[in-house]
Amino acid sequence: MSVFNQLAIHPEKCNNCLDCETACARIKTGTKNPTRSRIRTIKNLREPYYGPVVCLQCTEPDCLNICPSGAIHKNPETGIVSIDEERCVRCLLCTLVCPYSGIFYSAKDKKVIKCDLCDGDPECVKVCEPGALQFLKHAETYREWASKEDLFSPGLSACMGCNSELIIRFSLRILGKNTILATPPGCIPGFGAVGYSDTAGARVPIFHPLLSNTAAMLAGIKRYYQRMGREVNVVAFAGDGGTADVGFQSLSGAVERGENILYICVDNEGYMNTGIQRSGTTPFGAWTTTTPVGKTSKGKTRESKNLPMIMVMHGAPYVATASAAFLGDYGQKLKKAMKVKSGVAYIHLFSPCPTGWRFPPEKTIEVSRLAVETNFFPLWEYEKGALRFTHPVEHPRPVEEYLRGIGKYSHLNKKQVDEIKRISEKRYGMLKTLMQK
Amino acid sequence: MEEMIVVDGNKAAAWGAVLSRPMMVAAYPITPQTPLVEYLSQFIADGVLDADLVEVEGEHSALSVLQGASLAGGRVFTGTSGQGLAFMFEPYIRTAPLRLPIVMVIATRDGISPQCVWGGQQDAVTVRDGGWIQIYVENNQEILDTVIMAYKIGEDPEILLPVNVCYDGFYLSHMSEAVKIPDQTLVDRFLPPYKPTHVKLDPETPMAVDPLTPGILFTQYRQGHLEAQEKAKAVIERVDEEFGHLFGRSYGGLVENYRMEDAEIALVAMGSPCGTGKVAIDRIREKGVKAGLVKVRSLRPFPRERLLDSLKGVKAIGVIDKNVCFGWGTGVLYVELSAALQSLSVPILDFIGGLGGSDITFDHFEFAMNRVLRAMKEEVTQTVHWFSLD
Repeated sequence: MSVFNQLAIHPEKCNNCLDCETACARIKTGTKNPTRSRIRTIKNLREPYYGPVVCLQCTEPDCLNICPSGAIHKNPETGIVSIDEERCVRCLLCTLVCPYSGIFYSAKDKKVIKCDLCDGDPECVKVCEPGALQFLKHAETYREWASKEDLFSPGLSACMGCNSELIIRFSLRILGKNTILATPPGCIPGFGAVGYSDTAGARVPIFHPLLSNTAAMLAGIKRYYQRMGREVNVVAFAGDGGTADVGFQSLSGAVERGENILYICVDNEGYMNTGIQRSGTTPFGAWTTTTPVGKTSKGKTRESKNLPMIMVMHGAPYVATASAAFLGDYGQKLKKAMKVKSGVAYIHLFSPCPTGWRFPPEKTIEVSRLAVETNFFPLWEYEKGALRFTHPVEHPRPVEEYLRGIGKYSHLNKKQVDEIKRISEKRYGMLKTLMQK
Repeated sequence: MEEMIVVDGNKAAAWGAVLSRPMMVAAYPITPQTPLVEYLSQFIADGVLDADLVEVEGEHSALSVLQGASLAGGRVFTGTSGQGLAFMFEPYIRTAPLRLPIVMVIATRDGISPQCVWGGQQDAVTVRDGGWIQIYVENNQEILDTVIMAYKIGEDPEILLPVNVCYDGFYLSHMSEAVKIPDQTLVDRFLPPYKPTHVKLDPETPMAVDPLTPGILFTQYRQGHLEAQEKAKAVIERVDEEFGHLFGRSYGGLVENYRMEDAEIALVAMGSPCGTGKVAIDRIREKGVKAGLVKVRSLRPFPRERLLDSLKGVKAIGVIDKNVCFGWGTGVLYVELSAALQSLSVPILDFIGGLGGSDITFDHFEFAMNRVLRAMKEEVTQTVHWFSLD
């Protein structure tokens, strides 16, 4: 397998010592001339930024795409982007389009220069005392997934900022072609995953079960292939309504019978596709059109159904929570879930909804991340009878930080915020207790 | 070599399933179908039937699991009754438009309230517009034979529709009769394996099943479905004939005519009352009355041409309804038959009985025929009669 490595930058740690520039110039040119370095330290751009800039060896490099003379190549084995001096016409377009300002013209050398990762042992990283530069060797995992075929059609029409499209495209890269997908009525088929009219939304078999029978239909499909002696991934991408509410009996029956299906609940905490009605997983205090904010009540008065924990107690052999803000974590969990043979593998994916929760579409991942970092939605997994945190947050940020940016919580009074805190702490405490055994 | 055994209707249905070799059975016990689930479980446990038994948590999941297996390409079997059918309604009305040739028996039961667990055809007739083929049978041998025929009808490439075989709860489900078990090799010759291509979920041939479908295309699907129902008329007749050639038993296809050749009056009925009805016809004929019985086997598709043909010479008709049709003040068969016989100007009376497990007796048939005979001569003042109440 090709190994794709990468420099990672932590600008907050950079102290502007310029040692990286010096080290790069020395190793590449034998001089101390920083204008001949392949890495530079910059400051005071439009947004306060202060730190090193360097080529990030993009998957689809803009420099490569714009080069009029075909002088830029990306090595398919190493992922390194390099310049063929013989072909380069010194037009400098590459230096203009690079979104990271990671490619430079050296007047002294009279050529365009850029980082080549020093044969896998970058000099700049070695000299960076504050740790602002890091050589990531595990990036290959992400590259591996990114290089796999996208099994969904282009042009899925999800709301702006929705992470479901990211999730299903990412998931299918891992699940692969030997998969049958069920997407019960909700946002995912709503944005065209199954298709419209005579067009298909996916390159794998996909269908609409009823909102109420996803697990049962998948069980029937899986058992057919088990009898045929064929291994097929049989997977649900279901919303919270089809999982926690009207589809719950079907799911519960499937777990009890030990049906070997992979069930992913994409939880956006309500019936968002039909216009923001409350579901069993809508959290306490949240506004929806059916838990409105009025004179006598303000938002939902009951806490959400703790579905992943119910699945643990139900005896599902593998249960995990996941978030699009921690895709690597989710990817590992999905791979584990695919290997389960003894029953229902269940993943509960937190899916913030900019439309229904009332926050700007560009904040989706930020909201996802905050939910984890405030322990509002901790990341954990349950396998072989044991629970563990996969992204432990020992010192959580206050839950107010999470609630603050989300419109559906904008009406909350202090008492309600305290109640949300209490629920989060209770659930986190329960997880901790169960882990201590 | 056919074996003769004495079994109740539920066991006859189970034998019909066994001989049809489904790869999966999913069913939830409900009175009066319950013994069927027990029999099938035992057959599978004993290795008599090599199939997956899915012990579902309700009828909704029973049919849903089978839809999944059928979508993957399997032949499947289930059965239900009354409230179970009601709980199953959501996947039920989707099975036929998905064109999945699932076979489901209904041990018919009356609806609640008031609370009632006994026979009546209300459950099955209520879902007659769910797009399935519905065949009503008279005795246990016909249950067994019709289950086998149901697969052959439903899986016909021109049809591809699910089939209900409806037998009267308790009157057939719990009553024992002598039944011949057809030879498996003959059944295998009659019923080849199911190999669908029209709708199939398989990673080797990716297909999107049920994308959002806009109006005109949607209408085309409905039109195709209705055409398949119409074509099913000929297929039901043909399959019944083929079955007769191989096994020596046939049932008239869509409609069975009993002593109708020279009949002046006719009774029309569905299901087990036809057995008593035939005896009643024999007896009244001994008195010189030219009476006959028409047994409607197929309620969906409704055999209007065959019925018109059977009844065109008669002077008065009595319909026996083991169900009611809300809004018409009659039974369902009465409404359906009246629509089919628009071109005949003969009086049609309706007799409602057998509800909630009550008997339809020989006396009831005699009462009905007397009223029909009277309608032949006098003007009709009362169309609907209730057995035991009128």
